[in-house]
Amino acid sequence: MPRPGFVLDVDRSTPPTLFWHGEGFGLERLPVGSRVIYAPEPQEALDDPDEAVRHALDNPDGDSQPLRTQLFPGMRLTIAFDDISLPLPPMKRPDNRQRVIEAVLDLAARAGVDDVVLICALALHRRMTGPELRQAVGDRVYDAFAPTGRLTQHDAEDPDNLAYIGQTEQGEDVEINKRAAESDLIVYVNINLVAMDGGWKSTATGLASYRSLKHHHNVRTMLASRSFMDQHRSELHSSNWRMGKVLSDAGVKVFQIETTLNTDTFPSNFAFLQKREWEWTLKDRATFLAVSRSLDRVPARQARKIFHSIRSPHAMTGVHAGEVEAVHRLTTERVYSQQLVPVEGQTDVLTMGLPYICPYNVNSVMNPVLVMCLGLGYFFNLYRNKPLVREGGVLIMSHPTPWEFHPVHHPSYIDFFEEVLADTTDPIEIEKNYEERYATDEWYRHLYRTSYAYHGVHPFYMWYWGAHALAHLGSVIIVGGDTRAVRRLGFKPASTFRDALEMAEDVVGREPSITHLHNPPLFISDVS
Amino acid sequence: MPTPAAAKGLVRAVAVSPPTAPPVVRWAWRSARPRAKGFPWAAPTWPGGVARRAEKSTTGMEYDTAWARSYGVQLARAVVLDSVTRPVVRALADPTLEGIDRLDGLAGPVVFAANHASHADTPLLLTCLPSRFRHKLVVAAGADYFFDRRWKGHLSAFAINAIPIERVKISRRSAELPASLLADGWSLLIYPEGGRTADGWSQEHRGGAAYLATKIGVPVVPIYVEGTRRVLKKGVSIPMPASTTITFGRPIRASDGEDARRFAARIEHEVDVLADEHANGFWEARRHAAKGTTPSLRGPEHAAGWRRAWELGEGRRPAHRGPAWPPR
Amino acid sequence: MKALVVERKPMRFAAARLAGGWEPGAGARVGPLRLAEVAEPALPGKAWHRVTPLLSGICGSDLATVDGRSSRYFEPIVSFPFVPGHEVVGRLDDGSRVVVQPALHCATRGIDPPCEWCARGVTNRCELVAFGHLEPGLQTGYCSQTGGGWGHALVAHESQIHPAPDDLDDCAAVMVEPAACAVHAARQITAAHVAVIGSGTLGLLTVAAIRHLVDPDRVLIATAKHAGQRRWARALGADVVVAPAELARAVRRATNSRVAGQQLTGGVGAVVDCVGSAQSIQQALSVVGPGGQVHLLGMPARVDVDLTGLWHREISLRGCYAYDRADFEAAFDLVRQVGLGRLVSASYPIDRYTEALDHAAHAGARGAVKIVFDLRSRTTRKARA
Repeated sequence: MPRPGFVLDVDRSTPPTLFWHGEGFGLERLPVGSRVIYAPEPQEALDDPDEAVRHALDNPDGDSQPLRTQLFPGMRLTIAFDDISLPLPPMKRPDNRQRVIEAVLDLAARAGVDDVVLICALALHRRMTGPELRQAVGDRVYDAFAPTGRLTQHDAEDPDNLAYIGQTEQGEDVEINKRAAESDLIVYVNINLVAMDGGWKSTATGLASYRSLKHHHNVRTMLASRSFMDQHRSELHSSNWRMGKVLSDAGVKVFQIETTLNTDTFPSNFAFLQKREWEWTLKDRATFLAVSRSLDRVPARQARKIFHSIRSPHAMTGVHAGEVEAVHRLTTERVYSQQLVPVEGQTDVLTMGLPYICPYNVNSVMNPVLVMCLGLGYFFNLYRNKPLVREGGVLIMSHPTPWEFHPVHHPSYIDFFEEVLADTTDPIEIEKNYEERYATDEWYRHLYRTSYAYHGVHPFYMWYWGAHALAHLGSVIIVGGDTRAVRRLGFKPASTFRDALEMAEDVVGREPSITHLHNPPLFISDVS
Repeated sequence: MPTPAAAKGLVRAVAVSPPTAPPVVRWAWRSARPRAKGFPWAAPTWPGGVARRAEKSTTGMEYDTAWARSYGVQLARAVVLDSVTRPVVRALADPTLEGIDRLDGLAGPVVFAANHASHADTPLLLTCLPSRFRHKLVVAAGADYFFDRRWKGHLSAFAINAIPIERVKISRRSAELPASLLADGWSLLIYPEGGRTADGWSQEHRGGAAYLATKIGVPVVPIYVEGTRRVLKKGVSIPMPASTTITFGRPIRASDGEDARRFAARIEHEVDVLADEHANGFWEARRHAAKGTTPSLRGPEHAAGWRRAWELGEGRRPAHRGPAWPPR
Repeated sequence: MKALVVERKPMRFAAARLAGGWEPGAGARVGPLRLAEVAEPALPGKAWHRVTPLLSGICGSDLATVDGRSSRYFEPIVSFPFVPGHEVVGRLDDGSRVVVQPALHCATRGIDPPCEWCARGVTNRCELVAFGHLEPGLQTGYCSQTGGGWGHALVAHESQIHPAPDDLDDCAAVMVEPAACAVHAARQITAAHVAVIGSGTLGLLTVAAIRHLVDPDRVLIATAKHAGQRRWARALGADVVVAPAELARAVRRATNSRVAGQQLTGGVGAVVDCVGSAQSIQQALSVVGPGGQVHLLGMPARVDVDLTGLWHREISLRGCYAYDRADFEAAFDLVRQVGLGRLVSASYPIDRYTEALDHAAHAGARGAVKIVFDLRSRTTRKARA
């Protein structure tokens, strides 16, 4: 029976606490009286995931017929699936997407469907490479569809392959992938790692164009999402749901399949990462020392390579299929049951270690903009009710924050960092003065469409993702980061954790309350 | 050659006063001095606010002895048995074997059931059993005594190929391991009394040996060991040389319809007969057995403890033939 | 008189080259430059005047000489031993302050009729700098006969003399000569987007010249290595100031260009390279648009540059040496208008020349721009920070 998450009160006999630090980690002693929030332990995996998938397809939720009855010869079937940004780290084979897509294809083959196209719903993310697609959908699917060009990747900048559907009551344009829009049925295959994923966001965001996306990927929406991990209080989700309504009113049929994962994030040689420090065995301590010592000695590039080769032992804990909203309700419940930790009261200072990976740098470099997005966009927003840190409080993050960018994946990030952030870090100013130029830059458009680059506007979204946190926080301190890069982000660099706490006191006063977010794995704080 | 005073000074310099010691000594001090290193070099301390979780036990019945039955360990044990245990046993106990011919033609697996007076019983029997049994033999040892610490468990498992059993009651779990080993062809040495005698008289046989033998369908060889109490009786830690005798009985099997409890009583009786045979000779023992007057090893039931002890000295053949060494 | 003298000593040039390669400016200690007691230069003719230098700047080309980095190209057009120093504000014997325009063209050499270029007034292109009654020397400061700014006296032909207006103090006046170089370059530029590589003295002056003298509407992108230089570049009028490695991206953004390999498909119409190294020239070629111009303002030496792009994109690579009289006159205005006297960061007496040259060689890193020798007093003076 996995134990639920809990909040530890640090006392004198509490051992030092683990902090991620990019491609590495360290132990820091937290002041007595601090709190450390530990995630719930990973839930039990499904005994037979393949059988569970088949069962879900035959017993859909909400107002939906079993998938087999919706398939008929001569139909146009489109299977859309989540891209490389999920799950993190990429999971060991078989991936959930592979299991589900194979089950769907089994049914389609039996029903005699000939016209099947797979679309990677990557929105404005980078295209996936062949091996990455293979990892996600599995060899059988890849070999059957890729050579004939029926395994495609969504292109949000291809005017010939986008269909304008209409406007929501609030005047938001809905424009999605044409093949998907004109199909008799879209089967969307999702992996729900955090509560933000899934629902109408799958189709309305994953398959949308820039023109459509900008209605909810903007500063105003982000400031009105408290947080976007809680869909009932998230303007991001409300907008996506409105768009979903436009889609279904226009006759776009979506059969949504959502899978959930447990939080068994790292393989056994990194088991100590997910353990509570006082339960570390001799073996855990030895591996920690061995791993951290050797990471100190290998060059950063090599360390990055080692970490990005990790395949997570994530296991499927549930699968739901059918009508989008009904499915997503069940999925969200399940995600919450795995990830929710009740926490009493806010804190003056929130500390966290940032790992080497975020949704946008799989097999890539975690550049400073992504550091901001992971800390202020994701981890800060992993809350329900109210933020873990009080308004005007301080966020202390630990990450090396190197001034380094992946030249192929993140070309517009480099310009964003060199030009935009050198001018201002205010999301509203940035949106007003720079977004359009980057979004319409022909060069970025070219790289997004033909290379493996994120869209030109993507770094802006990363910055907007943190807009709520930027407005909420009194100060952000990065421990052990590249000083110039940290300053460019508008944050304060600190060389040690102790210094960072001293600096934080200047903002929140003496003897502040301190709370540490202990990750991995991910969890959501339910703050009362 | 440094003078004693100089040597003393050096010691003091190393031990006490590094700043004033010569550089070489200071260097040695710095590199040899144990450094106070906390977590993760040392084990973590436990936060006050967190309840401790019951740890999975690895001692007692939960001690896993499988490693001790691997080929390499068996080989090592055989070497130790022949080159260390056997000479020690010879020097201390010099056992006389009686009735060893009764085992001719018997093949394992077998349950050896012996009376138990001393820690010396096991090494004695291990060195005296025919080699076809000796190297494929496990010894049932009290989990509460031989396996209560991990190091004791390691030692017992290695030295005598012990397996943990519960001595007080026979539970299904306690019987599982020996049963499966018997089924695998291992012989078992067990002391059905469940422990060493405190006063010299035996205790009632418990059902374990009989249960296992009936369950797996293997023969039981009753054994009477005499004299080991003089070598090393309970409560004594230094062994004294004394002569010993081991009397093997005919292998017996449970007859049809005989339950474990009755079979256990029969095993006890057979051991009594062997004791009688050892004391009064084969013929007398047979006659006593036929008449049902075999003296019980459990001794007379007297209210006062001293009379039991008294009779222990009276009723038996004066077995003390003096130590085997030094020779008279 | 006391002066810093460069002598023809091949071994010392070699030593300077080694030392200078190890640490810029270190050639001053081991190289051909030394502080010596020399005879004051005699007046070569009637039109000549004695000038007593007040301030004399240290120029990038002077550092190249001191560190033994200058090309052997110069050998026939200089004469040893010479006193360096061609950025000079001084005083005539009648007490008036003058700025010296150092080029030693036909008129100064008594060549009549003058060469084609001198006849047209483009004296910086004089063909006959190694001829005439004067010893060879392209400028005052490279000629054995005229003396130079790094000594207490020099001689100047009347055509070389510009009176210094009273509203320009010595610091401002010493900046006129380098500013004239920048003006000369800026006047060649017509493109709407201009990139200036390097934010040393020349780079900053070029930024100022392009911004203030020519068309104020053009987009000006400058590279600067050090924080101080970045501030100056912005203050003097650059629209975008970036680190050297960021130039290509800044140009791409400004010109809405694309990238093919290391090469921008478009680019700026003109690049002014104020560094003159192989790297900077290569970088200039990679960010200049097709048909564009690269102006080499920094003095190069032997460089290894891939010119395929130059050929393919019909780029002109154009030298940019000195100035003519009109440029010089305009430089006075620029110096006055922008207040370029501020760029003089420190002055040293000539007997502390090793320190001065070290400071000049690391000016950017040490937050300085122009380092000058102060010759106003013959006794040692404390350096002004």
